Amino acid sequence: MTKYLFSLLLAGFLMVTSCVEETNPEFDQKSFTKIYDNNLYTIDYFPIDMVQTEDGGYLILGGRRLEDSNFTGIYLMKADKDGNFVKDIEVDESFVNPIAQLAFVNNNYYFFCMDPLTLQAQLGQTDANMENVNISATSGELYYPSAMQVDGNNFVLLSYNHLTKQSVLAVVNTSGVSSQSKAFTIGAGDQVEEPIINHFLRTGRQYPFEAGRIPGGLYYFNGFYNYTFSLVFTDLVQDDPRGVVQGIQDDGGFSAVKPLTATKFAAARFNFGDNYILPNTILNTTGTSSSVDLGGNTFPELEQNAKVKILRTVLKAKNVLVYGSNTRSKQIGLYFYDEATGAFLSSKYLGFSNPFEIAQVISTTDGGLAVCGTTYLAGRFPRICIIKIDAADIKGF
Amino acid sequence: MKKLYSLSILLLLTGLVFGQAPKRKSPQAYNSRAQNTPGGNFLDKQWWLGLKAGVNLSDVTVDKRYSALSPGNYPTSQTDKVYDDFNAIGSQVTLEVSFYFKGFTFSLQPAYRHSVFTYSNNYEWSDPENATNRLELTYDNEQKVDHAELPLIFKYDIIGNRLRPYVQVGVYYGFLINANKSVEVSGTDYASGGVNEFTNDPVIIGAKDLFANNHWGLLGGIGANYNLGNVRLNLDIQYRKGMSLINSTENRFGSDRLSGIGEAMDDIKINNLAFSIGCLFPMRYLASGFKTLDQR
Repeated sequence: MTKYLFSLLLAGFLMVTSCVEETNPEFDQKSFTKIYDNNLYTIDYFPIDMVQTEDGGYLILGGRRLEDSNFTGIYLMKADKDGNFVKDIEVDESFVNPIAQLAFVNNNYYFFCMDPLTLQAQLGQTDANMENVNISATSGELYYPSAMQVDGNNFVLLSYNHLTKQSVLAVVNTSGVSSQSKAFTIGAGDQVEEPIINHFLRTGRQYPFEAGRIPGGLYYFNGFYNYTFSLVFTDLVQDDPRGVVQGIQDDGGFSAVKPLTATKFAAARFNFGDNYILPNTILNTTGTSSSVDLGGNTFPELEQNAKVKILRTVLKAKNVLVYGSNTRSKQIGLYFYDEATGAFLSSKYLGFSNPFEIAQVISTTDGGLAVCGTTYLAGRFPRICIIKIDAADIKGF
Repeated sequence: MKKLYSLSILLLLTGLVFGQAPKRKSPQAYNSRAQNTPGGNFLDKQWWLGLKAGVNLSDVTVDKRYSALSPGNYPTSQTDKVYDDFNAIGSQVTLEVSFYFKGFTFSLQPAYRHSVFTYSNNYEWSDPENATNRLELTYDNEQKVDHAELPLIFKYDIIGNRLRPYVQVGVYYGFLINANKSVEVSGTDYASGGVNEFTNDPVIIGAKDLFANNHWGLLGGIGANYNLGNVRLNLDIQYRKGMSLINSTENRFGSDRLSGIGEAMDDIKINNLAFSIGCLFPMRYLASGFKTLDQR
């Protein structure tokens, strides 16, 4: 009987000890928070865009403060799949003003920036390990790059021509050659231009410039047109826009827009500081309308004229829209909506103790999300951070 | 998991029952004069039931280091936590059920254990071009973890009389009951026009999700029983060596409050030095004139 008893106890013991915690590299990648510190007091890096590389790591395009220029410099950083810092590059000061998107095309990563002297738009290119960073000038009169999005193997680039005071939307290939472009006046007078220049100098409000294309359809940009911050649709053939959703000078307009179909959009708008989320809205792409008439879900918890990022992705086998923004309590708020119906699904707030601000939210190859942003260590040192979220940690659907 | 807990508890209870059953004698056997004489078979075995309580000190063994801070221009080792060994006092209360047989004791000692361990991180930001641009911060972390433990212990009485010193070895299994964590940030700010030394109010949070639901370990120790009349006074010293992680590997970054300030728990095992005193009562009595084991 004693032998039987000890066998039972041993079996029970082995069973329960098999359930204990063990170091699990899989968990290290599924969920983490990483803050990329630098012990220099005055260093100031900020993220602009992030992509996940094929090795599971993360490539971040950022900006940095320059001592000898009013513009921001270019900063590139690589983290491994666990979020640990791998390397960074401070790109030479002869190139400034990097903009989103950091685009993956033909196994290379591309971004636009500009020459601080000529103000000409430049196309930067690097690889997943940042072995080389090559930057070359674009062709055509493309100045002050403002926003870019990939369209196939080309880039849809929004830029600002300070000579003609026009917003310029162009299709640029990976060699920097512009194949199509159209320019649209921002309106006459220095007062219209001033906030745009302040945006580039980062001495004023940061406007949510965007550029892109409705899949297979019209091109669009979110920028200044005819004295207002507007969403402009164009076929890049006609001189006039095909459609315009007007804002109210620079007090109202879209803070983010993502086409879902030819006329259906996921969007967010601002109006005199207030923020509205429109996860399922029909926009008139071939006529003139006003963003003020679109209504939307109001979000008083968001900071004034909040930065908004929209991600269209699949989470837990469901097509969802992820809205990321900054709250008044200095957290990053993520809001999940059903893409098909626009119904609210869930929310999640990131960051505590120190302030957090969003730069980008992306989907990851493991079905989760990764949020890139800025946090302020010790409440004062701006540092780039990545918050990786496992899909299982998103509750509510 | 709950099924496993239930199963293990059932196994242990079964063990207690079976541990007694085969040796149980008929009532007539206890009346046998031959066996009930001093030095007879009756005194070769005894059940003891008692309560112990005491204090403990903890330290941790680090399996793998983690930090929410990933430095870009200084060594990662500078983010390593500095653990304090055996410097914070915890406590424990133990119910002891022991079966003695010819100098050996098989003991089950379910316990409530409150363990405390501490560590700190130091960070510094400076400006080579301006010495007053400097901030030093220290994050003092204190973890308070409560476990229900089920140890199985074998003891051997080295010598036996009124004072009965013993050595013991065993194994224990712990179930997480609760955990709290506090972080106190203090530092010196040289950039505010003077030397500003400050200590912020600690951030105290419930941290149960950051710890493993269960863990196990081995134990060894020494002790002594002092037979006082029919009861035993007990002094017990145990060293517990954690054999599995006590932190949750899945929820390492689960607390925004902590990861937001750069805090993430390492993969750690907890070791514990426990001092207890208690009192044990015999469960088998003879008629008057005979006492427990010390009256041989």
